[in-house]
Amino acid sequence: MIYVIDDDEIMADCITKACGEKNEIRIFSNAIEAVRAIDTAGTPDLIFLDILLDGPDGFTLLNELASYEDTAKIPVVVVSSLNFEERDLKAYGVVGVLDKSAMMPLEIKQYVEEYCD
Amino acid sequence: MESEVDGILVAAHELKAPLAVLRQLALNLPEMEQSGERMRSEMVSVSERAIKQVNDLSKIRRLEDGLFEMEPVAVRAVCDEVTKELAYLFSYNRRDLFIKYSNRSKLVTANRDLLYSVVYNFLLNAMHYSGEGTRAELIVRDFKDKVKVVIRDYGPALPMDVWREMKRGFVAKPTSIAMRPGSSGLGLYIASKFSRYMNAEVGAVRHRDGTSFYVELPASKQASLFV
Repeated sequence: MIYVIDDDEIMADCITKACGEKNEIRIFSNAIEAVRAIDTAGTPDLIFLDILLDGPDGFTLLNELASYEDTAKIPVVVVSSLNFEERDLKAYGVVGVLDKSAMMPLEIKQYVEEYCD
Repeated sequence: MESEVDGILVAAHELKAPLAVLRQLALNLPEMEQSGERMRSEMVSVSERAIKQVNDLSKIRRLEDGLFEMEPVAVRAVCDEVTKELAYLFSYNRRDLFIKYSNRSKLVTANRDLLYSVVYNFLLNAMHYSGEGTRAELIVRDFKDKVKVVIRDYGPALPMDVWREMKRGFVAKPTSIAMRPGSSGLGLYIASKFSRYMNAEVGAVRHRDGTSFYVELPASKQASLFV
């Protein structure tokens, strides 16, 4: 299962489309909904996470995920318009960073193939 | 001044998000016939150019913090990258690009990203203002202690007031150029800001049949091993 967490509905749809049809995908517009879903439905195989969200931001969610034994292992790909280096986010368990303004659908697919297929 | 720059930064970020969405939508369109694919490429290309300008605006704020390191840079390599990126656009708009390098191995002291943006903005201007079927020219020349990059277009002459500002070596703010329709002067403003940060000189030469914009960069003292 893949979680896409982005408050921009169209961008979330684009990411979902690029993920392909093999995996179940759930879209969340904020971090709170995503955490609740993890509590009830279990941990996803991969998360695509935007940083600037309504309510608690992506970093709050990353801290929350890193604080529990089971969720700390979930691979997270940060998808943002802000400029981040992957090495700066390694401590949060981030396995990749994609710049929204430059990423290609193929890059999203590659993460899906690596962590889900 | 600081709040003005902060305002630009906020506006830049606000613009970047919808542009990124437009680009993704174009990339996610289903396969189309030839003319459709051409339109898709143009949509992606237009969004990417706009994103680049928005990114340049964000960099203006970072200039004040001195976050761009100066290093030895091979001008030719940067120009090659820019022309490669813009080749599609020149061809799409039926403009030729003439390139002449007279420098062999000289490095300059600059920031690679900022220099890329300066050349990119000048060349984009030249593409816009050269008439269909004409050409723009990119010439790189070595001098004793500097390297000069000249971008020449065959469009309308540059207005006197903008030329004077360029002669002073600094464009204070984006200014619409009436004789060059569609221009906001944003490219010149960005190029001027970035050049100043790199201790490079920018200027313009008015021709009867167009304008040459140039940037003169200080040559690096470091021996050039890799070009």
